[in-house]
Amino acid sequence: MIRAVGYRLAQAVMVALLVGVLTFLMMQALPGDMAFRIAAGRYGYDSVNAAAAEAVRQELGLDRPAIEAFGRWFMDLLRLDFGTSVISGAPVIEEIRHQLGASLQLAGAALALSLLIGPPVGVMAGLRAGGWLDRGLLVVSTALRSVPQFLMGLILIVLFSIQLGWLPAAGYGRPAHFILPALTLALGLAAASARITRDAMAGVAGTPFYAFGRWKGLGEGQLFRRHGLRNIGVALVTFLGLQFAMLVEGVVVIEAIFGWPGIGHALVHAIFGRDVPMVQGTALLLGLGFVALNAAVDLAAHWIDPRGTEKAGAKA
Amino acid sequence: MTILLNAENVSVHAGAEQLVEPVSLALRAGRPFTILGETGSGKSLLAQAIVGTLPDGLRASGQVTLDGHALDLARPGGHRALWGRVIGVLPQEPWLSLDPLMKARAQVAEGHALVRGLSWEDAGTAADRDLAELGLDGAGDRRPDQLSGGMAQRVAFAAARAAGARIVVADEPTKGLDVARRDDVIELLMREVREGGALLTITHDLALARRMGGDLAVVLKGRVVERGPADQVLTNPQHDYTRRLIAADPSSWPQGLRRPPKGAPVLSARDLSVTRGGKRLFEGLDIDLHPGEIVGIWGPSGCGKSTLGDILLGLAHPDRGTVTRCAGIAPVRFQKLYQDPPSAFPRHIRLGQALDDLVRLHGLNAARIPGLMERLRLSPILLSRRPTGVSGGELQRLALLRVLLLDPVFLFADEPTSRLDLITQAEVTELLSEAARETGMALLIVSHDPDLLDRTADRVISLGTAPEGDAGTPRGVPRAGGGERLRDRVALV
Amino acid sequence: MSAITTDIPVTARSGWTRTQWAGTAILMLIVAFALLAPILFPADPLRQSLRNILGGPDAASPLGYDHLGRSLTARLAAALRLSLWIAAAAVVTSAVLGMAVGVLAAWRGGWVDRLAALLADSFLALPGLLMVLIVSAIVPSTPLAFWIGLTLVLWIEYFRLTRATVSRLIVAPGVQASRLLGFGPVYIFRRHLWPELAPMLLTVAAFGAATAIMTIAALGFVSVGMRPPTPELGLMMVEMLPYYREAPMALLTPVLATFLTLLGLNLIAGGRRA
Repeated sequence: MIRAVGYRLAQAVMVALLVGVLTFLMMQALPGDMAFRIAAGRYGYDSVNAAAAEAVRQELGLDRPAIEAFGRWFMDLLRLDFGTSVISGAPVIEEIRHQLGASLQLAGAALALSLLIGPPVGVMAGLRAGGWLDRGLLVVSTALRSVPQFLMGLILIVLFSIQLGWLPAAGYGRPAHFILPALTLALGLAAASARITRDAMAGVAGTPFYAFGRWKGLGEGQLFRRHGLRNIGVALVTFLGLQFAMLVEGVVVIEAIFGWPGIGHALVHAIFGRDVPMVQGTALLLGLGFVALNAAVDLAAHWIDPRGTEKAGAKA
Repeated sequence: MTILLNAENVSVHAGAEQLVEPVSLALRAGRPFTILGETGSGKSLLAQAIVGTLPDGLRASGQVTLDGHALDLARPGGHRALWGRVIGVLPQEPWLSLDPLMKARAQVAEGHALVRGLSWEDAGTAADRDLAELGLDGAGDRRPDQLSGGMAQRVAFAAARAAGARIVVADEPTKGLDVARRDDVIELLMREVREGGALLTITHDLALARRMGGDLAVVLKGRVVERGPADQVLTNPQHDYTRRLIAADPSSWPQGLRRPPKGAPVLSARDLSVTRGGKRLFEGLDIDLHPGEIVGIWGPSGCGKSTLGDILLGLAHPDRGTVTRCAGIAPVRFQKLYQDPPSAFPRHIRLGQALDDLVRLHGLNAARIPGLMERLRLSPILLSRRPTGVSGGELQRLALLRVLLLDPVFLFADEPTSRLDLITQAEVTELLSEAARETGMALLIVSHDPDLLDRTADRVISLGTAPEGDAGTPRGVPRAGGGERLRDRVALV
Repeated sequence: MSAITTDIPVTARSGWTRTQWAGTAILMLIVAFALLAPILFPADPLRQSLRNILGGPDAASPLGYDHLGRSLTARLAAALRLSLWIAAAAVVTSAVLGMAVGVLAAWRGGWVDRLAALLADSFLALPGLLMVLIVSAIVPSTPLAFWIGLTLVLWIEYFRLTRATVSRLIVAPGVQASRLLGFGPVYIFRRHLWPELAPMLLTVAAFGAATAIMTIAALGFVSVGMRPPTPELGLMMVEMLPYYREAPMALLTPVLATFLTLLGLNLIAGGRRA
């Protein structure tokens, strides 16, 4: 267990380093007059002059040798000092705190919805591998996998907003605004979690101990509760950890499409406006979020299955 | 004696093909019944048809009466209500049949609680009592990975019977277990018989069949070729196959000629000590291997038999000690045969291709292959197949051929026949020792079967000791003769 | 040898399944369209024409025209070529990179292995879309940025698979036997490792190509990918969305093309027998 924690810490440092390098390169790639453009964005075109641009250049370390600049850059990052957003001028931490709430609402709703659909369908399909439900699930999940989330969003918008006019296509604040983006996200996640659950369940249902349970005289329901649930648990929990990446990607695109004022929406804007501090803060948050979540997954998996924890690092 | 299980005209089909010809048998309370046969003989299918656990795609027919309940096997599903309550199935390799995440007590208790309807509290008490009766006090809180193979077997036995079954069907109960554990299993099963239960055992293990006694049926290619009281069948076999089977058992092999070591050793080891996983396997071990000599290594599983061979080949490293090869001999002349023959060949290429690769690599004389094939009784057609398309015995002989092409001076055979059937085992072992005598290579052969080593080897090195006295040591085997001494024989429990 | 018949495990049927053939057929159709359209219906995908604004199908463009009168046939074919090229390039580079690091890590073991695994896990922590976005902000040319960014995302899967497979095989009796028989690393790779890796790599490659195509389209759709007027699947959709009522087919064509491409790839990837 200590080894697993150590590994996650090393991973966190490595993620920070990776984000540091990437965003540093991004900053280095800013065109020469970018300092001027940033200054313009910050103070308005009328009040921009060479001095203001120079101040921005200084602040971002655009004038120092690369190695020294990177050292300073990375130290700031480790102190979680991201500076201020180049575009809005507000501290990056504040901006992110603002947007995170909206994103978590959306992600949480989508995840809850997908868990209501995916695992139960997966269990039923896995218990009768090769049956009609199983084959149906394969067809549906392959089809859903071939519809990217933005396309699903587009289809739902065209269908429910444009064609039928039932739901708003974009916006934030009312419960109705939740339905389309959450459903868009949930459909893809549900298909994936159903497949994972199905494979895990089919695996468990094919084990000698599942058969032995029958020979002991247990009924199918008793068998599932006693020997099925816990044994598919590790696969499910591990999948939840990996699904985070899928969820984040979905959130970025879906927020941009539905105009949801969350972290993904802001990220797209920050990239578009070359707002390096914002990109850095968001990327680090997402990367460390992934690491933290998977550390939690390690713990949960250990709780479900205490055997052989030494491989915790290799699982992610 | 009451008949608890009566099977009439039980047969098994896969589509139009008949896998098991109609068989009738009766199981009486207090008298064991054993079905003996090799891998693929259909013995397990027969048992599975009787207890209703046939895999999908196979069809059974016939009638079975289980403790008064009559079932038509052509209509599957009828067994479900009898499992656990009337008939207990002890599965193959029980350590795989226990829920890996559940403690032993709970796995036994659920039969009492969910099938017999006791409260969970009473069921737990009952489970503890069952486990204690089988000598497993205190094991109730352990998960299967914390149990030894023998303990897992007893837990599975308790679990299979918790719901009250009086008819027990045990499928290959000694598969994967040490010889030393075999006695425990027999005791476990016989106990059931003494208490008035009925027992049907399916096995390939001649010794198990002999020790169980009762009635015996010998199965070959889906047909019962001989049946009767076990002692009668085994001492006075009528069918040719039964005779060959009994003759192939290492305990009935003729005693090979023991030769004293001759010439300078091709391989010497001095003062070897090995610890694995915190366990000291052996210490201060000296070995000399001479040309043409056959040396056996015997010991219970986990005693370091294979590790010792790997160390001599340089595949593993000792904590202390040295291995010296006779100077001037090419490294490829020190070779190994593996326990699982298919895993020793590249999986995806034809066997002929694998041999060609070897011939090309070392510039060998390919003209030797046909002669060796004939000598090892291998059909040339096998060379056009992949490893998965050839039987284990043939593949092991091909592995021997591959090695012989390199004119080895030393061959380490790591349980080369433990995955093979009795008759094949006899053939392969005989060819191995002939190869050693004819080519003058030193053969180090690892086995868990003391009789096999006793009949084959010039001398035998025993590693580790069985927990109780002589129960597991080879009979009449010189323990560490010749040039070695075994300073410490480390007890393993 | 009485045991032969049932002793032998049934050899897994090699070759492609029916599902995989269906996937290949779909993909071939898409590729054929992308390559042949410029020959059969030659038109500049960027040339605007007031006469053809939101025009229906005609002989010169069977898929009709967009809001600026550009040939949708030419644009769709160009968009597909772009996506398929980037996807193919990213799949090839990531496969080479991932396998090389994977084999190296598993073969060498020790700290090399641990470091490589840590690096891969750290890359995994950054969502792929984010990685591509950041690289696109560093590298000036968008197709090049997609290629690099997607390679950085896709190599992980090759690495993990190669490492797991090789480290399992390397200690297995087959490889040990070959070493004892005097064979070197090249032979071991060719005869033992590659035949086990190849079929799995096909699956990963198909999924990887699907990821690449999805990413390119998604970023185009939210306006941070390819820049107009470049024909690109996601861009085409977002361009045609406002004209959905007047010309639904103009929106539907890129949607369908994207779906079919991904479906073909997913069928190839998912159609293998377990």
